[in-house]
Amino acid sequence: MEKIQNKFRVIKNEKLCPRFYRLSLQAPGLVKKIKPGQFIHIRTKDSLEPFFRRPFSVYRAQNSADIFYEAIGPGTNILSEKKKGDELDVLGPLGNSFSLPPKGTKTIVMIAGGIGVAPFLIFSDFLKGKGYDLVLLYGGRTKGHIFDMKDFKKNGCKIFIATDDGSVGVKGRVSQLFGNIPLNPKTTFLYTCGPNPMMAAVQDFAKKNNLGGQASCEEVMACALGACLGCSIETTNGYKTVCYDGPVFDLQEVKFH
Amino acid sequence: MSNLSVKIGNSIFPNPVTVASGTFGHAEKYFNLEEVKKLGAIVPKTVTLFAQKGNPPPRIVETASGMINAIGIENPGADEFIAKKIPLLKKIGVPLIISVLGHSDEQFLTLIEKFNAVDGIAAIELNLSCPNLNHKVLVAQDPSSTERLVAKVKKHSRYPIIAKLSPNVTDISEIAVAAERAGADGVSLINTFTAMAIDTKTRRPVLGNLTGGLSGPAIRPIALHMVYKTAQRVKIPIVAMGGIMSANDALEFLIAGASMVAVGTFNFVNPRAPLEVLEGIKAYMKDHKIKDIQELIGSLQV
Repeated sequence: MEKIQNKFRVIKNEKLCPRFYRLSLQAPGLVKKIKPGQFIHIRTKDSLEPFFRRPFSVYRAQNSADIFYEAIGPGTNILSEKKKGDELDVLGPLGNSFSLPPKGTKTIVMIAGGIGVAPFLIFSDFLKGKGYDLVLLYGGRTKGHIFDMKDFKKNGCKIFIATDDGSVGVKGRVSQLFGNIPLNPKTTFLYTCGPNPMMAAVQDFAKKNNLGGQASCEEVMACALGACLGCSIETTNGYKTVCYDGPVFDLQEVKFH
Repeated sequence: MSNLSVKIGNSIFPNPVTVASGTFGHAEKYFNLEEVKKLGAIVPKTVTLFAQKGNPPPRIVETASGMINAIGIENPGADEFIAKKIPLLKKIGVPLIISVLGHSDEQFLTLIEKFNAVDGIAAIELNLSCPNLNHKVLVAQDPSSTERLVAKVKKHSRYPIIAKLSPNVTDISEIAVAAERAGADGVSLINTFTAMAIDTKTRRPVLGNLTGGLSGPAIRPIALHMVYKTAQRVKIPIVAMGGIMSANDALEFLIAGASMVAVGTFNFVNPRAPLEVLEGIKAYMKDHKIKDIQELIGSLQV
């Protein structure tokens, strides 16, 4: 697979809600190559602090390559200060992508926690018009994590929200929303991305109800090219790199601890 | 055109720029193989006799100007490496330095036998210095163990032998002298410094292996001093690594006495760094009217 390393210009870097930002890059060559579920590896600053690049799921790849992120550490804090016209060194697209659900699937349920919602907009862009019922179960800690989901709505997603403190939607974890999942193994398929405890809950639920699914995982990465083997996670098939073998795995393959 | 070629044992490398083992995978997953073709040599990740699954995650942590890793030599084992990876690596057409690690002298010798049976290798690097395998003492922490092992391996190997040394010693040049005395064709230095990081929220070590090896620009000045000191004491070529990011970094090591320079950890930040280093060395030689890289190696003025 061909990858690009290049400098791309920031078109827009907007705050969507108190915690989340959306950054758009002018990157026509890159946009054409990106598949839903893939990520890009960004050098946030041309210096040694922070040292690593930072991996980001692609949020949307239409007129620009967009990422969706939370300013939560040194790398993302630097990103949040980027202005229109600034350049970023980007490597990508990287990793595998979501694959289509099995034949006969009618309902696709995307289950996201916090910033884990990032790969699902591009995925719903891709699924739109393919005849599926799209459902998004979204959990955030509090209302600061809830953003305007109009792009998801435009793609026809039926949205259910839970917050830990009940400030928006149902009070509790995203598992409080599992009642919205049609329990037919032949016609329902799950996709999940978020904190490991949440994905573990999705995995348990899917196993109990015999539902198939895929999980998009996250790890600290160095190279993101499958070379350093630093981002390995435990799976039923041994250690696998999130960057190269993933980030998307079969839901039952990953060992969430 | 200036001459950039360097020699280790009877193997000739078109230029002195390579990559540090473990930072390039087995090359086939690498970013752009066309660009890789310009390198002086490729050093794939260390291979052990039997497959190793590696250490439990987390395996890496970012630090100030560097990182700590505890991968644990995850690799498919020598037989599969030879069957599946060597053909792909050979196709690149760049001299190969194969890094091997045995858990005993016998394992090292079996590895040597296996690679003797493979044509077209430029040199064998003995990884005597991986800090992440919970061995109490590394071979490269003891001059007599180093001398014993290198002598045994030298007797059997059809390829030049490079001993990769550990910085976790009082005097690395002692170990290099032992390797030279045993007949090593070169030494490579340095491997990583044993290090750790603690998560203060959980009061647990960040790494699954508890400790790991520190690498990156944070260690470069120490690596440079170790190479300088070693170059004063051995005549065999030195392959230098330790935080090299740029041509200027690499030139420091060449001037200190290294014959080859490897980009390691910085590959993870800038996959094109080795090629930028090569271009920069060429430009420096042109600017300083240096016709042969040998004029530069060990040219430190004191």
